[in-house]
Amino acid sequence: MVYLRLFWIFLRVSVISEFQYRVNFFVQLFQSALALGTGLVAMSLVFSYTQNLAGWTQPELLAVMGVHIIVGGLIKTIIQPNMNRLIEDIQEGTLDFALTKPADAQAIISVREFRIWQLIDLVLGSVVLGYAISQLSTSLGWLSALSFAAAVLLGGLMIYSVWLMLSVGAFWIIRADNFLEIFDSLYQAGRWPVSIYPGWLKHTLTFVLPIAFAVTLPAETLARQLNGQNLLFALGLTVFLLIVSRLFWRFGLRHYTGASA
Amino acid sequence: MGQTIKVDTLIKTFQVPEREAGLKAAVGSLFKRKYREVEAVKKISFGIEAGEIVGFLGPNGAGKTTTLKMLAGLLFPTSGQIDVLGYEPQRREKELLRQITIVMGQRNQLMWDIPALDSFELQRAIYQIPEGEFRRMRDELIDLLNMGDLVKKPVRNLSLGERMKAEFISALLHRPKVLFLDEPTIGLDVTAQRLIREFVAAYNQRYQASVMLTSHYMADVQALCKRVIVIHHGQLLYDGGLAGLVEKFAAYKTIGVTLNDPELDLSEYGEIISNSKGQVNLRVPKSATAQITTRLLNEVAISDLTIEDPAIDSIIEQVFQQEAQVV
Repeated sequence: MVYLRLFWIFLRVSVISEFQYRVNFFVQLFQSALALGTGLVAMSLVFSYTQNLAGWTQPELLAVMGVHIIVGGLIKTIIQPNMNRLIEDIQEGTLDFALTKPADAQAIISVREFRIWQLIDLVLGSVVLGYAISQLSTSLGWLSALSFAAAVLLGGLMIYSVWLMLSVGAFWIIRADNFLEIFDSLYQAGRWPVSIYPGWLKHTLTFVLPIAFAVTLPAETLARQLNGQNLLFALGLTVFLLIVSRLFWRFGLRHYTGASA
Repeated sequence: MGQTIKVDTLIKTFQVPEREAGLKAAVGSLFKRKYREVEAVKKISFGIEAGEIVGFLGPNGAGKTTTLKMLAGLLFPTSGQIDVLGYEPQRREKELLRQITIVMGQRNQLMWDIPALDSFELQRAIYQIPEGEFRRMRDELIDLLNMGDLVKKPVRNLSLGERMKAEFISALLHRPKVLFLDEPTIGLDVTAQRLIREFVAAYNQRYQASVMLTSHYMADVQALCKRVIVIHHGQLLYDGGLAGLVEKFAAYKTIGVTLNDPELDLSEYGEIISNSKGQVNLRVPKSATAQITTRLLNEVAISDLTIEDPAIDSIIEQVFQQEAQVV
């Protein structure tokens, strides 16, 4: 419960600090609207030629896009700022402050930053998703709403784990920010269902950077039949990635403090 | 209460990649890296009592920060023992971390955009300080440092000195028993430096905390530390009173002479450091001080004569210039 409280106070403090930069709200709004606009244009172009893309109908694709925006918003609100701060702290030596606190260091470094204006994407994405669902013939029950939320949560945790492992690389290679950009560009590929991509890219997006689980799977639980097996698999993978990233974080820390030698 | 910090034959070696200059070497190092072992700290031992303030001196790269980091549990010792309040710091146990603090003059931990008062709440949550105790300590520290309403301004709007004071409050809210202060007054103006100094002394008095202080400002050390530990090239050069340091390492004394005849040349008696209108300062070897003074008094017409130890800064500088030799 201590960590929940910590999470809450960090959130509160970030909100206070973000409200000092209200202009960012409008900048973000403009940016998000622009991204949404281009996404919609691209999609309408595709559907002016065909009625389905690798088995996906237009409303289904729209649902994927909505989820992509929502999950992207979550990443930019919590995961990305915290991981960037971690890399910065490693570079500048300020990580020492986090390491001398009587609390779990991984917990501290994971919840210090919140970019609340990025939550605009959460709203926009929900609107897109809501519209997509209204165009679908299937009706939604509580069960699919719940499993959707679960799928998004699991996807977020998976992306957090992978991102943490990449950031921990900064313990060895100080300039780790560069390969985080690769992640960003690959995330853009998640705008479309992962199944439309050629095999190697599909596998990368599924297992190396679990975007298939973070975006396509939640969209699938809503737009198509709920697949309990997939969700269970996602749960297993999430637990696995959380454990592996925890171990890797501690390994990196041991390297940082010179304990491995 | 006995010793709060015990360090026994502490050694830290780093593996540093060895690379020659030039493009070819840079490309080569991508594939095959050579490592070299660097001994940053070589068999250092000392102990610090509860309530003691100890100055930790040494030039850049002497091993000061490495030692402090090992004491704070941020670096693993290669060998040797460290005991801080009965714990091994490298295990980073919460019970120990709750009782120590680290303040670095060149690095800040307060959040830039919000008032320090809000950042204090974060510390309270992390250290799990009970509400009442937290308030009492916070207000006491704000009072001691004369911060008043400044804690309600965003940290970015504070001056460097005010920011450092806020850093101190934040670092001491949990009432630590051991303080590691790494260059806490760096870059501050004289008034702010003095305020911080007085504050550290007051905190130390009130809570009988042990303080390890590194500083390049000898004024800090002179004002706060009865005892200093000097390290150079990772070795312990001196551990003892500040006065003893002067005694041990001052190889020279300064003889100040006021001449009746300002034109007189005194260079045969010693090295002339300054000469203005018959006020001459001579640098002479310590062992020859008595003899030269006698000669001056006998051979030259003098209206006044003083003998002084050199300023502590220049002694320290001298010590650092010579090669390390085990004491």
